[in-house]
Amino acid sequence: MGSEEHWEPKILAFLCNWCSYAGADLAGTSRVQYSPNIRVIRVPCSGRINPLFILKALQGGVDGVLVSGCHPGDCHYLSGNYAGRRKSATLKRFLEFLGIEQGRIQFSWVSAAEGVKFSQVVDEVTKDIRRLGPLKKFKKSSAFGVQSSES
Amino acid sequence: MMFNLDKKDFDHFLKDLLETHDLFAPVQLTEGVSVFKKIDNPGEVSLSQLVPQKSAKEVFFPQSEVMFRYQIAGNQGPTVSEQKIERERILLGARPCDIEAISIIEKVFTGEDYTDVYFAEKRKRTTIIGLGCNHPLSTCFCSSTGGGPFNRAGSDLFFTDLGDAYFVELLTEKGMAFRVNKFFKEADSEDLGLMKEIEDKASQKVDRTVPVEGIEKRLDLMVESPFWDRAHEKCIGCGVCTFLCPTCHCFDITDEAVNQKGQRVRNWDSCLFPIYSLETSGHNPRPTGRERTRQRLMHKFNYYPKNFGRVACVGCGRCILYCPVQFDIREALVYASAKRGKGRKGKFK
Amino acid sequence: MVQQQLREKAKELLSNKTVDLIIGFGEWTLPLRTTPVFIRTPEGAKSLVWNSFCENNLTAYLHKFSRLKVGLVVKGCDARSVTALSLEKRFPNHPPLLIGIPCQRLVDRKKVKKAVKGEILQAVEQGDLLLVKGENFEVSLKREDFLYASCRSCAHRTPHQAHILIGDPVEEVSLVDAHPEVSKLEGMSPEERWSFFEKETSRCIRCYACREACPMCYCAECFVDSSRPRWIEKSLSPSDLAFYHIVRAFHQTGRCSGCGACERACPMDIRLTFLTQKLNQEVKDLYGFETGIQPEAAPPLSTFDPEDEQEFIK
Repeated sequence: MGSEEHWEPKILAFLCNWCSYAGADLAGTSRVQYSPNIRVIRVPCSGRINPLFILKALQGGVDGVLVSGCHPGDCHYLSGNYAGRRKSATLKRFLEFLGIEQGRIQFSWVSAAEGVKFSQVVDEVTKDIRRLGPLKKFKKSSAFGVQSSES
Repeated sequence: MMFNLDKKDFDHFLKDLLETHDLFAPVQLTEGVSVFKKIDNPGEVSLSQLVPQKSAKEVFFPQSEVMFRYQIAGNQGPTVSEQKIERERILLGARPCDIEAISIIEKVFTGEDYTDVYFAEKRKRTTIIGLGCNHPLSTCFCSSTGGGPFNRAGSDLFFTDLGDAYFVELLTEKGMAFRVNKFFKEADSEDLGLMKEIEDKASQKVDRTVPVEGIEKRLDLMVESPFWDRAHEKCIGCGVCTFLCPTCHCFDITDEAVNQKGQRVRNWDSCLFPIYSLETSGHNPRPTGRERTRQRLMHKFNYYPKNFGRVACVGCGRCILYCPVQFDIREALVYASAKRGKGRKGKFK
Repeated sequence: MVQQQLREKAKELLSNKTVDLIIGFGEWTLPLRTTPVFIRTPEGAKSLVWNSFCENNLTAYLHKFSRLKVGLVVKGCDARSVTALSLEKRFPNHPPLLIGIPCQRLVDRKKVKKAVKGEILQAVEQGDLLLVKGENFEVSLKREDFLYASCRSCAHRTPHQAHILIGDPVEEVSLVDAHPEVSKLEGMSPEERWSFFEKETSRCIRCYACREACPMCYCAECFVDSSRPRWIEKSLSPSDLAFYHIVRAFHQTGRCSGCGACERACPMDIRLTFLTQKLNQEVKDLYGFETGIQPEAAPPLSTFDPEDEQEFIK
């Protein structure tokens, strides 16, 4: 991604296999354009998201994270997205309390039929994170900062 | 050689040292919490906490130490950058127990068969300025383990706080290199008398009764003692005692890498963590707190003495002061050294 | 006297073999402290003490003695931890017998140490006062001024879930601002909050005393020790330290009784309770849940309501 001037947000998207991933696929096959800033990881369900995934991504160098799953009531596993929703709500509030900016981690419901919505969500999230700039807090710097009596 | 260093000149003295040396001293991180750190200006030095949480071993053997870094760029293959020590170093304000402990670790790291370059290089290039303890704590038992609040062994220079001034003794060749110093004034007999008085008073205060003598042989007979069933009960298995201990020296080496860049780091490890002895197969030869607590005490008072002829404990009292559940190593020693059978003293029953 | 009643009760429970072991507090070597004691004989019961220095959450030991019938001395917060653990099915064989003591709230030893100059050699409680002696000083302090922050913000001091209650219940308190530290931080900018958090965690030495002191941390393998996948490195980089503390706290969501044992265990004096207090506040706000109050209510992150708040989801 190079220097700050040419900085482009790097966003990791966790998409559930049954809805959002299919929605992204639909966006693709329908030739709907959206920001190329996301990298997609397919997960079985939005309830599968371990908060560690999100933190590890932020620490490892992404500027934002999107988690997307089936709409309430549509979960392939009946209630996975409901369970995920509680984890998401508490984690989001907690990270924002610690000082991670609002908008760094975002959540959406995108069904398999919502290719257009998927593109809109990605564009919005990219816009938000572009506005926030590169993530500085928490990121493990490329210098592998090791703090000790040496430094 | 003996000098007097006026406290008014202390900061200037340090400033001069900073010109030519990397200076490591106790620094207060927050009220009541100090560690040894490299300092940039004299104002950072804080000598008020007798026993800083982390000991001076960190100056020679940091908790996280980068051994080398590597990078793969293009087709050139890997380039490795080693960590070098640029300047001569001074360790200031270390207490006799911590200095004693450095010599204990040194025996392991610079043995006959093997020399750890990371430790040895730092040790070689460091001048140690010891500081006597005018007011030892009730948890101090250095006099029981072969040291004392004014034990000068290992110090190149030794300071005694006289109130308005420091009494300065140059003890080794390394120390003598500092004899020409514009802030040092010749010490007079009054200074010397005062120093002796402070030393005597402090020495009387330190507990000499913690039974360390012969402990190695007693522990030989205690490997399967029911004592361990009880001793570990309250231990919660954290690493406070081992990390704060000035003589504990176990470490773990890991590679931290992302893409084409990485570093090899060694970090302190603790025998009280289950993962410390966990084998790849899943088998853990020290499966419970019983074996791990035993290991901690055995290493200090049995295995180390067998190898190096003295106990690996300097009586600084950190493990007593900072243990979340008050495991008191003195009580464990009292118990272990008492006669077998009914007459066992001590609080471990 | 509570202490006397406690000893008698413990003696009785051990004599009639209701329990195999009683875990309580006893005197040890340092002032302003007590130590966990493990009592197996009726005669041993006399070493139990009860005072304002009984700071450990002994619930953490239940994992170690799961094969015994344990009588556990608990304060309000400790009892709530036991309830939370029961909900997680931690006691399939022998649920502990809880010997509850309505809590007078505990004295913060670090705070007392900061209030005097010199080493404290003796500390005794006398009513509302705390007599503190050292080599060259003797002061009496107002106990009320030296309570732990977690005790100040405690609304449930009586262990209602206890099987045996020793002493009179204390009135439930309702607090206007239960967590002043959280409120203070909420008034700051995200940058200020992050730098506060990072400054605190920068002192961490990764001894994991906070984890081990916590009754709710009982995973067979903690995420920090996992090598496949390796979530976190072992060195003291600011990022890894923050990572550890975020996850340690977040794993307590809806499980923390707010006892403060994590913070007391820390040798580096890192502020830790503001993290879990914030999470406690969140689950109360979002799901109306308080740890260990309703013994039947499912932990908030292991259940859901279709109507849960979801305004934050696009």
